[in-house]
Amino acid sequence: MTWELLAVFLGSSIRLAAPLLLAGIGEMVSERAGVLNMSIEGMMLMSAFAAAVGSWATGNPLTGLLIAILAVQPVALLQAALSNSLRANQIVSGIGINILVLGATTLAYREIFGARSRTEIPGLSKVTPPILGDIPVFGHAVFEQVWLLYAGLAIIIVTALVFRYTSIGIAIHAAGAEPKAVEKSGLSITAIRYGCVQFAGFMSSLAGAFLSIGDIHTFTEGMTRGAGYLAIASVIFGKWRIGGTVFACLLFGAAPALQFQLPALGIGVPNALLIMLPYLLALLAVGGLVGRQMAPASLGEAYRR
Amino acid sequence: MTIANDIGLNSGKRTWLRPALLVPLAAVAFAGAIGLALIAVIGVSVPDAIASFVDGTIGSPYALAASLDRSSVFALVGFGFILANRANLTNVGGEGQIAVGGIAATAVALYGHVDGLPLGLAFILPTIAAVIAGALWGGLAALLKVKSGTNEVISTLLLSFIGVWLLYWSVQSPALLRKPMTSSATLPESLEIPEETKLPLLTGDYSFPVHIGLPLTLALAVVIWLILSKTILGVRLRAVGLNPVAAHRAGISYARTVIFGLATAGALGGLAGALMLLGEQYTLKDGFSSGYGFDGLVAGLLSRGSVPGVIAASLLFGFMRSGGINMEMVAAVPTALVVVIQGLIVITLAGAALFIEKWERQ
Repeated sequence: MTWELLAVFLGSSIRLAAPLLLAGIGEMVSERAGVLNMSIEGMMLMSAFAAAVGSWATGNPLTGLLIAILAVQPVALLQAALSNSLRANQIVSGIGINILVLGATTLAYREIFGARSRTEIPGLSKVTPPILGDIPVFGHAVFEQVWLLYAGLAIIIVTALVFRYTSIGIAIHAAGAEPKAVEKSGLSITAIRYGCVQFAGFMSSLAGAFLSIGDIHTFTEGMTRGAGYLAIASVIFGKWRIGGTVFACLLFGAAPALQFQLPALGIGVPNALLIMLPYLLALLAVGGLVGRQMAPASLGEAYRR
Repeated sequence: MTIANDIGLNSGKRTWLRPALLVPLAAVAFAGAIGLALIAVIGVSVPDAIASFVDGTIGSPYALAASLDRSSVFALVGFGFILANRANLTNVGGEGQIAVGGIAATAVALYGHVDGLPLGLAFILPTIAAVIAGALWGGLAALLKVKSGTNEVISTLLLSFIGVWLLYWSVQSPALLRKPMTSSATLPESLEIPEETKLPLLTGDYSFPVHIGLPLTLALAVVIWLILSKTILGVRLRAVGLNPVAAHRAGISYARTVIFGLATAGALGGLAGALMLLGEQYTLKDGFSSGYGFDGLVAGLLSRGSVPGVIAASLLFGFMRSGGINMEMVAAVPTALVVVIQGLIVITLAGAALFIEKWERQ
């Protein structure tokens, strides 16, 4: 493999990992607080759709992003209300939301775009960070990415710092591990969990917008194609830690990125296998390859006073 | 209240007017009303839409047959769901189980030299292959759960994606099931299966193409109902579902029960795939599973664990799908509307679970 090929491979791995990364960190925060958010998939799809429509209608991708962020919050609120206030089965309610969003976005897409499908939509611009971009060969190929990714990375770093150094981080962790103790300390479990689900919604909206107006500048029906479920798997793979989740997402991004590289190297591996690979890796990961799973103790259980 | 009453063993005393029945009906009515409102919003005449919907469900013998065939597929996946769910297992892998079932059925029908066999073996053997493939697919999730405690929701979902991509692979690769490439325009699909391997039609007439999948599904409905309510297997499933530790103390193997539950659910999913391929589609194509695994899952959820419930929900969805397709063709209402209605039903029911529980306790 030449250096150029390696650089392109790294660049496309990061690009493919980006939506998983953004959504995965959101999911991790929500799961640490005790809410299993199966609706990440639906929230991403809602955002991809809203961002595309917003950007297309206003001609401004930034407005599109804003609309996407706002459009996902009600979906997140629905998930939060179902899993906290109504104590619904979190898996069932999440899958229900995913079905609803798939239907609603497909319906709305047909109504809005109709025959004009595959319209090119104004997308977010790419940036190359100063020093990193000056590295020969790698600079542009690897680091020239949609700015949303860099913004997301900044948010992820802040999240990591909050988890490590602040009482908010401790409260979120405790809400998933020992909800009774948190409630005794005077904090509201309901408030913490609602907040974390909304945050997961926010991160999913960045992930979804990255898909439609960051990566390919168009919307296709059901375009998330299980990315949300991969994000959930990355949290398990990463053992509910930020570093591990980031690593898992990069791995899941690298596998399909190989489909652009292997043909150039004269290696004939079926595309389907490479597209399938992240799911296979995820299955191996959740199947115990990464060792004992340390899920938050009350993950998936609604809190009952 | 006795313990037996608590865990629902004395189910005979229940009345029909109970919340577990009324709430799903209310959810369906609510979702249907929103669906009608959406039709009005997108500017299609509601009576026209309803007329085309009805026409697509019972308007012709063909439409009726297609709806019934579809309903059997949903029902099989739904039966698998409630059986596994009795042991508190949530099988969301129907889509992948249908896909691997379809692959196995196609492979045996096309390349298993079964088309000359007597006594219906020509279509029975591909069906059995599909059942085995589905059982293995479901069993794999069970194995992961037993060996390393993997949540079956995640594993069956991931296995679904793997199954669907496996299907894509097998119809893309001429080394697998793709039909011989005669030109670059050769479609990525398998050859049509031989006539003898197609499921026999009940009337023998293609204008009313209900195949033997329907009576088979009804027979299996009785079997599943018997297993769940009259046999020791049903008690084991329920015991593991309610309290695995207590079940273990009582000598019930957790591992065996989990494997039985998920492998059976997978087998029924594989069978559903066989019915779709051998009974309706005859060639394997990308997107073969068509989301039917998720429809079956929703039927299972909607039924709240009862076999008649699964049948009712499957009929509802089977007819809804058929009506939805006709509505798209005739009245230009996207079929996605049906998906919206399904999503609303699931969310409403999930949200109402607490309410049903409280009401039934009174």
